[in-house]
Amino acid sequence: MTLLHYLTVSGILFVIGLFGALTRRNTIGILMSIELMFNAANLNLIAFNRFLYPERLDGNVITLFIIGVAAAEAVVGLALVVTIYRNLNTIYSEDFNLLKG
Amino acid sequence: MEHIVFYSLSSVALISALGVVLMRNVLHCALMLGLSLMAVAGLFGSLGADFLFAGQIVVYVTGVAVLVLFVVMLAGRESELNSPQTNDKWPLALVIGAITFGGFWRFFGAYADTYATTDAEPTTRGIGILLLSDYALPFELISLILIAALIGAIHFSRVEESQ
Repeated sequence: MTLLHYLTVSGILFVIGLFGALTRRNTIGILMSIELMFNAANLNLIAFNRFLYPERLDGNVITLFIIGVAAAEAVVGLALVVTIYRNLNTIYSEDFNLLKG
Repeated sequence: MEHIVFYSLSSVALISALGVVLMRNVLHCALMLGLSLMAVAGLFGSLGADFLFAGQIVVYVTGVAVLVLFVVMLAGRESELNSPQTNDKWPLALVIGAITFGGFWRFFGAYADTYATTDAEPTTRGIGILLLSDYALPFELISLILIAALIGAIHFSRVEESQ
């Protein structure tokens, strides 16, 4: 397995997540697509760490930080989704138009 | 053997990621997200990152994916199953995705014959040493961010007392 294989998988995963974040109407779907993009970035970091600098572990540590930040982001994002659903009774992003003139 | 592991894990990861993006029922999307995250954890394992393999399963599959499932059940409605779940700008999104991947591909081509030269070694000890030496400050900041996220989530999701 070359580095190219892993980079290709993570690139496709990122593009799938990007497509989902741009096209989903459902706010929970958008959050899930963002999680996919986080995972693609993590896979990239670990692949570069393993293939180019196998004697160091910096990529692993930074990936650990990204997992922590992603968990915090998911918690706050989902709490916001629940609050918006309670107030507006919808989770579709095109209905969030309170600030529209 | 290495090829079988890589191709099966990456096909599971990519197909279930497509399921997350394209499926109509949000509950199925959330289950597919769990499967995709698990396959990515397997890819971490095949790259020799044993600590992150465990961390991915613990934090993502049993934390984030289960949390998403809870929110789907709290904020979902039956009528959603009959309405389309994507907006009408999807051809534009497809073009943006293709351009992004084209940009990636130009950069990836340079690594077509980079092979792993050493065997994978256990990483847990090294990660622990790095976390308490070079990365001590980011490590503390992450704990601050997690506390802030916890308080923020409680603040946003609490129910106001009615007067």
